[in-house]
Amino acid sequence: MDLSLTPEQEMLKTAVRRFVQQEYPKETLLQIASPTEPTPDGPWQQLTQTGWLGILIPTEYGGEGGSFTDAGVLFEELGRGPVPGPHISSAVLAALTLLEGGTEEQKKEWLPQMAKGEVRMVAAITEADYGWLEDDVRLTAKKSGDGFTLNGKKAYVYDGESATHLLCAARLEDGNDVGLVIIPANIAGITTRDLPGFAWNLSEIAIENVSANASQVLGGKFAGGWDALERAEAKTIPVLCAYQVGGSQAIYELSVDYSRTRHQFGTPIGRFQRVQDQVINLLNALDAARWTAYEALWKLDIGRDAADSVHLAKAVGSEGYYEACNFAHEVHAGVGSMTEYGLTLHTTASRTLYHYLGDPKFHRRRLADALGL
Amino acid sequence: MDFEPQYTPEQEEFRQEVKAWMKENMPEGIIHPADPIDLTEEQYQKRREFGRRLGEKGWLWSTAETKYGGGGLDVDHAIVLEEEADAAGLTIPPFYDSGGRLGGASIVVWGSDEQKEFFLPPIFKGLVRTWQLLSEPEAGSDLANVKTTAVKDGDDYIINGQKVFVGSSLGCDYMWTLTVTDTDTKRHENLGWFMIDSTLPGITVQPMDLLISGGESGAGSGVKNTVFFDNVRVPSFNLIGGHNQGWKVATTHLELEHGTGGKISRNVVVDKLFDYCRTNDRRGEPITKDPDAREKLVDVYIEQEIVRLLQLRNYWMRHSDVTTTYEGPQASYLKKTLGLKMSRHILDILGPAALTFDPELGASEGHMEAHSRAGIIAIHPGGTTDIQKVIMSRRIGIGREVIEKAGALS
Repeated sequence: MDLSLTPEQEMLKTAVRRFVQQEYPKETLLQIASPTEPTPDGPWQQLTQTGWLGILIPTEYGGEGGSFTDAGVLFEELGRGPVPGPHISSAVLAALTLLEGGTEEQKKEWLPQMAKGEVRMVAAITEADYGWLEDDVRLTAKKSGDGFTLNGKKAYVYDGESATHLLCAARLEDGNDVGLVIIPANIAGITTRDLPGFAWNLSEIAIENVSANASQVLGGKFAGGWDALERAEAKTIPVLCAYQVGGSQAIYELSVDYSRTRHQFGTPIGRFQRVQDQVINLLNALDAARWTAYEALWKLDIGRDAADSVHLAKAVGSEGYYEACNFAHEVHAGVGSMTEYGLTLHTTASRTLYHYLGDPKFHRRRLADALGL
Repeated sequence: MDFEPQYTPEQEEFRQEVKAWMKENMPEGIIHPADPIDLTEEQYQKRREFGRRLGEKGWLWSTAETKYGGGGLDVDHAIVLEEEADAAGLTIPPFYDSGGRLGGASIVVWGSDEQKEFFLPPIFKGLVRTWQLLSEPEAGSDLANVKTTAVKDGDDYIINGQKVFVGSSLGCDYMWTLTVTDTDTKRHENLGWFMIDSTLPGITVQPMDLLISGGESGAGSGVKNTVFFDNVRVPSFNLIGGHNQGWKVATTHLELEHGTGGKISRNVVVDKLFDYCRTNDRRGEPITKDPDAREKLVDVYIEQEIVRLLQLRNYWMRHSDVTTTYEGPQASYLKKTLGLKMSRHILDILGPAALTFDPELGASEGHMEAHSRAGIIAIHPGGTTDIQKVIMSRRIGIGREVIEKAGALS
């Protein structure tokens, strides 16, 4: 038993933390979140230079071939920003889906470019009638000639707007199999619309008479595509959880600091037990999320069946980040609501990630199944 | 990272030795009453006998030093022992004892060589059972407010006062306690910590009538008592850590009691609840298939997984000498709130069957009924949930200007 990080992981952690401080300071993150001028491209270019996007992509496909725990360490630090994607959506979920179900040609074609961040392939799965089950996919693929024609609408696609390519879940009209089709995101027939409001980098993507040939279908066929996606989701979720842990860790530190320095009634507010309750609840949510996430990452690394741990981690992690933000707002009151303070970056992220790859209720139900209840 | 012990061939060999030894030495017919108050004298003596055999082998307090009667084993072996006892449905020690885990640990840190040589071997060998005597009518959460006095008289101290919510059923050999040794100095610098022979004249033990005492099966205390000290003459030798140094000694066992020791065994009540719901039907289907019950069972599972992981973390931190701050009281807080939450869920899932140990209508041989009582009562011993949060706040640097350090464990 050893719950410490390896020296290499500690070094990675330090390097990523320094990188986020340098390239993604609060001002940059705020600018990206509400652009008053064109979004600066520099930080993203810097991120692609690090090679970190390839952390889970095997070396033979141009990646780093790291462990899941390595990826957890990396994304926990990115989550402290929170540094916006498309990283988990592309370099983790889409890349792992290709690894799970792609043909050798597809892996060779796409993975090296995804590791470099040149291709930002985003999985477009969910639709207006929202859900993460195979049954929820309605977008159709109709056979035409040697290929297929896609029609339908994806909704709540995380990182949809920044995608160069889509890994689009589609239902084959003939046979009913649900598979995944790789299509460029900027071709005629595809209209991407950023969803306004409290949503964080969510898009609606309308797909109208878009043609695709068989080589664009994951694994060359529709059958088995959905299963590959589910296997990849199970591996992505703990990494996403680590990202949420990083966010909770950052706002925990913010809240402790604020409790020590903000004075009311002539004393630091941390002296008040009502305020302490908020900070402690935040810490408890953070630690619960941290250890469920890292245990799931560890199980993935040693190749053990991780189904129960994955559902546990997502249920705890998404609830945890959401609640952590709420507790932090209680500590900060009015100051926390000011966008320039930075807390709302996390609050906004926590709401969207609550649902991404399945909300807590979804995972609680699947956990019951995994436990054989 | 690695979330489970990796067993070396040597450990596996040790495990076989432990298994074989346990098979040979574990007394027949040990039963686990749902409420520890039902532990009989005969059952208790079986557990004590097993404790002595473990002690002889050095396995009762396996990591304690051999020169004081411990096993001198490292944590890798201790884990195997703990796991094998867990698999056999017992804890080590197999009976309620506050001597080794808390009192003995404090003597190890603060006692003189002569005191260690005198007090520790009987504890570590299982020859004596020891109670802790901390709470008083005026000293609950504010433990430093104890009023029991120890007045120096020649080579002895004369102790007078009253302790409450202490001990167990079926008596003890030693008691350790915190008293006022100096009425003129300030808080925390006025206390003395004593290890006391329970047979001394002037000590009266009077059982309290409580809803339940907390604790699980045979290792729970069963009964809690009021203990009166009426001019009890205790030799100065029994004062640990020195005159007016009692609070320092107390920080060690308080730290351990607040969860810093960590734990790797399972939550028995959760297992029993799940077993019961899997094997009992409601409207023709197992209870686990009822959507409401399912939701609550998953809730219990999730919360107990969180507690398991945090206890595992604490266990690892302690045995890897990683400095702890808030982690002990955090695990204690969450374990207690889980217990309370579970008692509500049990009530929802089982209905009034959760409230009786009637052999026909009660659930799980009375274990659910006992937990229904224990859920609310177990919140308070060893520091209430609110106190755990107060400690956490100090340790993370918001409760006080100076960040409080954890109590010394070595």
